[in-house]
Amino acid sequence: MSVATEEGRTESAETVRKPPRIPWWANPRVGLVILLILLIALFTALRPAFLDTKLTLVPLQSDISVYLVVGLAQLMVLSLGHMNMAVGRMAAMSAFVMGLVHDQLGAGLVVSLLLGLIAGGLLGALAGLIISRTGVNSFVVTLAMDFALVGLITILYTSVTDGVAFPTLPAGMDALRFDTFADYCLGDVCGPRIPLVVPFAVAAALLVGLLFRFSRLGREMLMTGANIKAAELSGIPTKNRIVQAHALSGLIAGLAGFLLAANNGAFSASIGGEFLLPSFLAPVLGGTLLAGGAVSVLGTVLGATLTQVIYKGLNLLQFQLDQLQLYIGLVLLAALSLDRARHVIAERRGAKL
Amino acid sequence: MTRFLRTPDFTLAAIALLGFVVLAFATSGNLLSAGTLGAFFRFLAVPVVIGLSQMVVLAVGQMNLSVGALTGFCAMAAAWLMLEAGLPAPVAVLAALALGLGVGLINGLLVVFTRINGFIVTLATMTIIQGLRYGVNGPDTFQGYSAGLRAFGRASVLGLPVVFLCALVVAGLVGWFFARTVAGRRLLASGGSPFAARLSGISNDRSLVVAHGLSGLLAGVAAVITVAASGSVNASIGDDLLLPSFAAPIIGGVALAGGMVSVTGTVLAAFLVRLVDVMQAQFGINPRWIDLIIGAVVLGAVLLGTVRQRLHDRGSTA
Repeated sequence: MSVATEEGRTESAETVRKPPRIPWWANPRVGLVILLILLIALFTALRPAFLDTKLTLVPLQSDISVYLVVGLAQLMVLSLGHMNMAVGRMAAMSAFVMGLVHDQLGAGLVVSLLLGLIAGGLLGALAGLIISRTGVNSFVVTLAMDFALVGLITILYTSVTDGVAFPTLPAGMDALRFDTFADYCLGDVCGPRIPLVVPFAVAAALLVGLLFRFSRLGREMLMTGANIKAAELSGIPTKNRIVQAHALSGLIAGLAGFLLAANNGAFSASIGGEFLLPSFLAPVLGGTLLAGGAVSVLGTVLGATLTQVIYKGLNLLQFQLDQLQLYIGLVLLAALSLDRARHVIAERRGAKL
Repeated sequence: MTRFLRTPDFTLAAIALLGFVVLAFATSGNLLSAGTLGAFFRFLAVPVVIGLSQMVVLAVGQMNLSVGALTGFCAMAAAWLMLEAGLPAPVAVLAALALGLGVGLINGLLVVFTRINGFIVTLATMTIIQGLRYGVNGPDTFQGYSAGLRAFGRASVLGLPVVFLCALVVAGLVGWFFARTVAGRRLLASGGSPFAARLSGISNDRSLVVAHGLSGLLAGVAAVITVAASGSVNASIGDDLLLPSFAAPIIGGVALAGGMVSVTGTVLAAFLVRLVDVMQAQFGINPRWIDLIIGAVVLGAVLLGTVRQRLHDRGSTA
């Protein structure tokens, strides 16, 4: 670490030149695409059913949608160099609000969804507020929040629903669960076999991508993550940016909770319980660092796709749960190490030039 | 003396003692009956050791997400060695400790050689270890292993369970390691400022490997205590340990940035969390409130620490 700072310092002192371009093969995204193609070929060779539309591809797209959005929720705070350990529980709280609004007030799909998203956003904002006002590490704050919300969610579900899930769903949730665009025809022309939840995830990814690439807000969040002191001195209200990034993280987590509820067919207390690991997997596999200051939305899409392809493939090959976990962990380590190795080689070549 | 009264450890000790006394009165002395008190300390042993296991890696500014899964894996491995491989209990205990140490060292080496963030590395190894833990015996439970080991788990000296005394001895050793040994001081130096440590001729890489190895070894100790005290183990052991492993050092005042440890604080914090647990059992409160309360306590403790630090800074600059 110290070496890097020394080099950086001498370099910037000599000439203010552009950082050397990293060759295309050292780009983690390219590696992910190659890995994806190889794995799909492998799974198809072993089990031709892997390319079966109804059996595999449609549920796979639904799963990717959920975990892509989960990854985006984590990506929002990774841009600051923060973490959101409560990402699953924020999704669960958000889904609870959606279920509650529908169940108690009879609200429709859109109103429930919006109120739930707002609840998620508020929870995120609360985390961001505590972090920015006190300066306490985001890991601790969101971990404590996770603790607190785990308890609260179970209490709320048992007191409101006398069970673990709301008995009813807003109209339209079933369509989100079972239908694909192929079920909707305009004359003779029917849509492709893409589940209805996919557009939600695509829209979320596009919006987050646009936010970080083109909007002032997103760029300032990245600056805050890259160097908070420099950002502060440049007149960026870093505290507000921290609150906003966490609020967006909570809001997107809420969307993930909604999509999972749509896939499962119930607003239940178990939503979000499995979100933590995938939330880090997707962005980190895609080349986003935990250090902050740089994000890759495209990488997150690829990372989420890769993990779900592996899950689905191993599932089809009838691997047991324990082996599934084993291989996911190994693939993660291998992918990260390869990425690191590529980077080191690229740096060495760059240094020789 | 006044300096001691102002330390966070003293505050924690006062809160812990007060809580204990209040709880003893509130349960009209039931807490002090031999059975309840024994159980109180018996189930305090694992949280103390697992908190220390996390504290050791926090000291070098790292995290170890695999502590809980590793504890479960070592426990399952020890039970398997006794029941399926027919090995005597002492061999199984040593093997469990060695396994913990080995996995910890692998964690450390991965962090050093790949230069990937320790959080991510241990997240990955946690997943792998969870798979291995399940693979030892599937969903089935191991029970009926070495009578001697189980007797050790139930034994008490002067009313205090032996496993708890073991945890205290381990805590003492860890404290001594950081306070008195060269290796321990090097860990703290690396955690406090890697750059300064390197200039002083300390290998940060070695510190990372040592810290992760020690963390794994302590997870192995927690596994042995679990096997001895609980009488049966299955693949779910360790699932509920990850959050408490962070709660104890954080409430105890250990900074996530590294460079400092507080063994006393960690032990006292584990004691406090256990008090909350017992309160739930004694009054039949919905266990879910406990998560809520512990979450609030962690946050409160951290906020208090920040406020104290600010007051301290203001005091020293003025």
